[in-house]
Amino acid sequence: MRVSCWRSLPTCGLQSTLFQLRDLKAVGKKFVHVMYPKKSSALLRDWDLWGPLVLCVSLALMLQGGSADSKEDGGPQFAEVFVIIWFGAVVITLNSKLLGGTISFFQSLCVLGYCVLPLTVAMLVCRLVLLAGSGTVSFIIRLIVVIAMFAWSTLASTAFLADSQPPHRKALVVYPIFLFYFVISWMILTFTPQ
Amino acid sequence: MLRQGSSDDIEDVSLFDADDEVSRRSKKSKIRHPVASFFHLFFRVSAIVVYLLCELLTSSFIACMVTIILLLSCDFWAVKNVTGRLMVGLRWWNQVDDDGRSHWKFESRKVSAQGHKTSSESESRIFWLGLITCPIIWVIFAFSALFSFKVKWLAVVMMGVVLQGANLYGYIRCKVGSRKNLTSMATSYLGKQFLRQCHGVVP
Repeated sequence: MRVSCWRSLPTCGLQSTLFQLRDLKAVGKKFVHVMYPKKSSALLRDWDLWGPLVLCVSLALMLQGGSADSKEDGGPQFAEVFVIIWFGAVVITLNSKLLGGTISFFQSLCVLGYCVLPLTVAMLVCRLVLLAGSGTVSFIIRLIVVIAMFAWSTLASTAFLADSQPPHRKALVVYPIFLFYFVISWMILTFTPQ
Repeated sequence: MLRQGSSDDIEDVSLFDADDEVSRRSKKSKIRHPVASFFHLFFRVSAIVVYLLCELLTSSFIACMVTIILLLSCDFWAVKNVTGRLMVGLRWWNQVDDDGRSHWKFESRKVSAQGHKTSSESESRIFWLGLITCPIIWVIFAFSALFSFKVKWLAVVMMGVVLQGANLYGYIRCKVGSRKNLTSMATSYLGKQFLRQCHGVVP
């Protein structure tokens, strides 16, 4: 399809808008694959980083206003969440590549980024629960939701990433992923609005 | 319409080829894709402008950061997928095989036999000007943020450097073809520029 577009330039304009819809559909399909993790090639073959960017920005936005002693409007916190997510994903990817994984750098970033989706949903739920009140009951509800979504994230990303490793090294790959989502879940659970 | 004297020029889709174009200058200086040229520069320049003026425009750091991130992402997508293809006929992408190995592909458009699909010189200039100067500006911002200890801006600036640097690297690879050609191309470009200066001086 792209080769024929290349020859006859006038149709390229139309195809570039079609590409945009196709890109959006691909991103949506990947979200669905994360929520129902089966062994599929969509996340791995056609990787893209738009979904992780959107999730990262929305998670960082929702984690605002939570620190009791920040003088500015949560500025450094936003950048911190951003850096934690992206730097953590890069470190995990490097770790899995050094352990001899067959997955490529950007594919791994793509999977880790997309699997932040359950935790973003957990953050949304937590914020809604905190609107209702912030007592013990709300804490227990938030704890259950965050634990469930953390387990979902870890299992989803492990399902995609662990297969690319040799069998005796799977635990070495899964452990950093576990830590990564644990840190994000911790940030979500300890969020208290001012 | 093929000109026998300069058939080499038609085959060679070179950016720096400015010889023997007196009669074709009117055609080549026309901008064929004004919308693409506008957006090519718009996202990059507005990201830089927002970064510089953020303290004046709004007191919210987050709004600035999110705006700059959105502009950088739109710019990356537009330059990689649309304006490079339309303005200079180059494209690059990543492809994953069935066995999971990824390959980076760099392509440049071959000129068809009619010869009317060559890229215009002014569009080419706009493209490369925007592509080269903006990453340099972001690198300057990175150093200034680092040395003035404004660490909270480092995340945004690094993102700017990475995204725009990636596009710059991709298109240079498309243009050059392989790494060995880069030094020879740079030498020939400098040589041609020097000769053009000499021609310009002599009336």
